Amino acid sequence: MTWFNLSSRGLSFKLALTITAVVAGVAFTIGVVIVTVDWQQFDKELENKSLLLAHSVSVTAAEDILRNDHWSLFKSLKLMAQKGPGELRETTILTAMIIDPNGLVLAHLKPDKNPLGLPLAHDNKLEDQLLTAVRKMRKPGVLSGGFGHRGFVEGVSPIYSDEKLLGFVRVRLSYKELYNKALRSAMVILGLTMALVVLGSMLGAAMSRRITQPLTALAKGMEAAGRGDLLNISPVPVSNDDELGIVAMAFNKMAKELVEKKLLEEQIAVSEKLVALGHISAGVAHEVNNPLAGMMNCIDTLKKHPDDPELIARYLPLLDKGMTRIKNIVESLLIELRTEEANDMGGATSLDDLKGIVESEIGDGNIEIVWENHLGDDVVINRKRVQQIVLNLLKNSIQALQGKGSIAFRTFQDGDCVVLEVADNGPGIPQEHRKQVFDPFFTTKNNGTGLGLWIVYRLVESMRGAIEVESDPGNGTQFMVTLPSQQVRT
Amino acid sequence: MLRNRIACLSIVLAIILCQPFSVQADDSEIIKATKPIQFGLTAVVLRENLRFLDQWAYYLSQEIGQPVEFVRRRSYREIMDMLEAGSLDFAWICGFPYVQNRKPEFIKLISVPIYRGEPLYHSFIIVHKNSPYQSLDDLKGKVFAYSDPDSNSGYLYPQFLLAKKGIRKETFFRQTFFTFSHAETVEAVAEQFADGGAVDSYIWEYLKKFQPELAKKTRVINRSPVFGFPPLVSRIGVDLETVWQMEKVLKQMSQDPAGRKFLDGLKLDGFGEAKAGLFDNIRNMATKTKNTHPRSKAGKLTSNVNAALKE
Repeated sequence: MTWFNLSSRGLSFKLALTITAVVAGVAFTIGVVIVTVDWQQFDKELENKSLLLAHSVSVTAAEDILRNDHWSLFKSLKLMAQKGPGELRETTILTAMIIDPNGLVLAHLKPDKNPLGLPLAHDNKLEDQLLTAVRKMRKPGVLSGGFGHRGFVEGVSPIYSDEKLLGFVRVRLSYKELYNKALRSAMVILGLTMALVVLGSMLGAAMSRRITQPLTALAKGMEAAGRGDLLNISPVPVSNDDELGIVAMAFNKMAKELVEKKLLEEQIAVSEKLVALGHISAGVAHEVNNPLAGMMNCIDTLKKHPDDPELIARYLPLLDKGMTRIKNIVESLLIELRTEEANDMGGATSLDDLKGIVESEIGDGNIEIVWENHLGDDVVINRKRVQQIVLNLLKNSIQALQGKGSIAFRTFQDGDCVVLEVADNGPGIPQEHRKQVFDPFFTTKNNGTGLGLWIVYRLVESMRGAIEVESDPGNGTQFMVTLPSQQVRT
Repeated sequence: MLRNRIACLSIVLAIILCQPFSVQADDSEIIKATKPIQFGLTAVVLRENLRFLDQWAYYLSQEIGQPVEFVRRRSYREIMDMLEAGSLDFAWICGFPYVQNRKPEFIKLISVPIYRGEPLYHSFIIVHKNSPYQSLDDLKGKVFAYSDPDSNSGYLYPQFLLAKKGIRKETFFRQTFFTFSHAETVEAVAEQFADGGAVDSYIWEYLKKFQPELAKKTRVINRSPVFGFPPLVSRIGVDLETVWQMEKVLKQMSQDPAGRKFLDGLKLDGFGEAKAGLFDNIRNMATKTKNTHPRSKAGKLTSNVNAALKE
């Protein structure tokens, strides 16, 4: 069954088959035309021959009929039927006869079956029909009986003397030789067709090999490119200047450029990392330095006035605040480092644990939470990481709402991905801040660290996911995180 | 004798050449001398054996000292007419034409061939060997082949048989035709174009020997009594010298080895003396047959026959 399933076959097979079919079709068509034309020509020749033979007898027959010289009539038939030279030798005279206008035999090549002076021996309908047709003829003409091996053509020539009809000469030639001739040419043409088919399939195989070899190499190269295995693309051999050669060259060029681009990207990524690291270091230095300066002042003042309880009461909270801030910054950085290493797998319902944390975070605020978790425990997630993502997004929303509004959390499975959505109806993100939302230490809040969304971004990126943010200033913000299922677990 | 004649001719020629203005007197003599002897052949021999006849003609020319040419015609009638008109000098005819009335007589018997020891032969009624016919009566309503209307064995004898039985020969057979050759009559019967035919026994036996594939397809159902063998005749008016030469050469063929060879080819024993009485039974048969003709005036015919018999 599979043999007939063409679509599953390679191009090389299909191409070879197509070329073979085309060659066979053309050869067969030409063959049929030649045989037909041949047959028609032979047929015409045979008809002319039969007419000529009938006529040759009829010219001398009139006198013999008038003289009742049946023997001469018979002899003229016999002489006519003798194998002549050349072409005539190849023709079988099935029978020949001279009949009078009433259909009685005047002479017949088979006298034992058709005696002189009696009606023709007729044993079938065809003979009766032919005789009727012959008796109606007033001019030389050709009748035909049957086709193929046993078919024949009959030349009929009426015999006249002084415009009086004396009889008819009928000469019947066999189609056998013609049929055999046509059969022979058909066989030759069949043989030629077969030879052409073999040649065609060989040509097809060779051509398809030539075409598909670079295509296969191209396909391999593309597959490697698809895998990102750019360094493993071996150059496709360029055999000549045709379209395939151009494609191969273009592909090679592309592969080379892709490799270059990849190397460049890697370089850029490294430098970006360095930049980011520098940025973070500067941010950390700056963020830590700010409270540190105030704290140093406090400590200096406390050193100068160690016994002033008023100062202690005033500066200790300040120191505490500064230390807390530094602790928060360090904790945030640590959280990221921890989560990058964490591998705590669990069911997706564990996300619901966050609800309590978030509610305590809101505290007395007038914030409504809509919670939709459509994932079951059959979806296994990396609990720490995903929780961190969701928590940071929710915290961001709580901070944005400034104690009033509503938050919606929704998570569900979409094909191979797990989607996490966090939306609020807060003030939204101004257009000018959109690009900086995920930058570290970027914050618009007085007590924000500017690390929450950056951590989200880093986590999503590490899980090969995507994060989108939609914000309509005045109407709220929506974050949508899409994580590939297999990545949710790692 | 012959040498003298040639010498004479030479002298005449010399005179003609020397005296170109006085040729008229001897002109006809030269033409007569240079024209070959014309010998007519009919259906009695196989006219198709061209090489054999050419050689035989050459033999006769050598023996006689004058060129001899065989002349072939389709029918006896043509040969007889040519004899009468003087176009032929000799002819091999049949007993039936010989016995027919001629006034004035223009032929003379010179020899009768000896066949199987006697100057006699038969007429055979033949049919196809696979046919059921056993006698002439069985051929009623069938196709019958005659050789020549002036042939004894090929026409007169079957006609006589029918006449003898009181059968109307015009309606007895469904169709009849003439082949003008005994050999072709055999062919017509062998091919089953004719259901029956009448042939010369000599030719039939000859064919049986030399063309057995043809003759063996036929079967003899009626054998006639003996008749005088088809004779050789000369035209009255041919110079006696030539006639005598011809007669002598023919009759001596059986003694001459070269002549013997030709006789073997002809399947004859020799050429014998001619006896007019040999053909009497043919004449009687002709008379009886004619008398049965529905429109014949029997009295007049009988008187004619009687007159002929008296001659």
